[in-house]
Amino acid sequence: MNILTMLWKNLWGGNRTMLFPARPKVNSGYRGLIKFDPEHCTGCAICKFRCTAKAIEFKAGKGEFVWSYDPGQCTFCGRCVEGCIDHALKEGHAEHALTQESECPPVYLTQGELKVSYTVARKSPAAKAAAPKPAAPAPAAGTPQPESAPQSASGGQQ
Amino acid sequence: MNLATALARLLIFPGLLFAVPAAWFILWVERKAVALMQGRVGPPFMQPFFDFVKLLGKSTPPRPGIGGLLMKAWPLIAVSSAAGAVGLLPVLPSSGGFEGDLILLLALLELPSMCIIAAGFSSRSIFGEIGSAREAVLSVAYNIVFLLAIVSIAASQHTFRLEALAALPATPLRWLGVLALLVCLPAKLHLNPFSLPNAEQEIYSGPMVEYAGPELAMWELSHGLEWVAATGLVATLAAPHIALWWLAALVFIVFSFFIVLGLSALASATARLAIDTTVRFYWQCTLIFAVLAVSSALLMRLRS
Repeated sequence: MNILTMLWKNLWGGNRTMLFPARPKVNSGYRGLIKFDPEHCTGCAICKFRCTAKAIEFKAGKGEFVWSYDPGQCTFCGRCVEGCIDHALKEGHAEHALTQESECPPVYLTQGELKVSYTVARKSPAAKAAAPKPAAPAPAAGTPQPESAPQSASGGQQ
Repeated sequence: MNLATALARLLIFPGLLFAVPAAWFILWVERKAVALMQGRVGPPFMQPFFDFVKLLGKSTPPRPGIGGLLMKAWPLIAVSSAAGAVGLLPVLPSSGGFEGDLILLLALLELPSMCIIAAGFSSRSIFGEIGSAREAVLSVAYNIVFLLAIVSIAASQHTFRLEALAALPATPLRWLGVLALLVCLPAKLHLNPFSLPNAEQEIYSGPMVEYAGPELAMWELSHGLEWVAATGLVATLAAPHIALWWLAALVFIVFSFFIVLGLSALASATARLAIDTTVRFYWQCTLIFAVLAVSSALLMRLRS
């Protein structure tokens, strides 16, 4: 009879699921969507190499690079953000290009529908030198990257 | 019943035109009731219809030879027989019928089960064959009780005509027979605790494992029509006879609805039994009552 009591309670006790397109609130352990800030990106493509889900694509070009992100493929593991932090510190930046914001995972109907691409111009050495120095001491001083064919950019084309 | 009336009953009311939406409605009620009892939202009202249309639009892999043809034929035979069974139900008073239509109804109700057994073996899948074997064992187990219950009802009321049975006042023996029918319904409709042939978690829906697209849609429709026919049969025998046609139809629908709710509650509250336990349940526990009902009916008939 215990099961019947349970069924009766379930019947009148509300639902634990919800109808589409309503979404449940994310829990505290959820790390969230990747946010990209082109202002801070140096085009190192470490995020691309750390992304095991292949949600991030990187194409290097002359004087600019294209950074793409597909939330539909993302597992929200945060490895790209961790990599970006390290690199930003090495390069002497306080801020980093990638962050995570705990929004609900997006809904999509076709593959690649949510994919976003940014075409970012490579910063010249003069512009990098003019950038504000970080508050925290950097472990290694940032070496200005050459404008054309940097090592990271060529890696991005692989 | 002439040919025109028979065709109208088979194709319009209570046949295909009425039975197909009724089948989708009953499938929705069952799924929704189970979902609510499990604390879920459940599917929207039109979901069984959407599922059917979606499956119709899908393509199936080509299967060469006679096996492929047979796999296409079984669901169509199942749908036709289940629709025929619904067409025989005396939903409205004075709606026709003939002597012995109860026997035809039972035969038509049994045909989808036979088709499922054949379909599982035609699919040449190990899961399909296991499911078919289970369906065959289950069919033998519950059908003895099911048929004895029908025989006891018919013998106690001196007729095998459905409309006459619906019109006659219910006797205690008839109630016993209806109870036995209700016990058999979960097995006939593959509901928990007797959902052995289509056990999703064990044998991936058994005989249906190799089916997809329009053929699977036909199986779903056949299952819905079986629901309508089986619950309709019990509702016909249990509902009081009413002369007003609209009230009779309403009572029939309300009875069917509550039978579906009861079966859904049973399906939610129980887990799947093993095949030997199921056979033991029908042969040891329920068969005794069915035999008692038939003997009492025959004794009453001899005395009268």
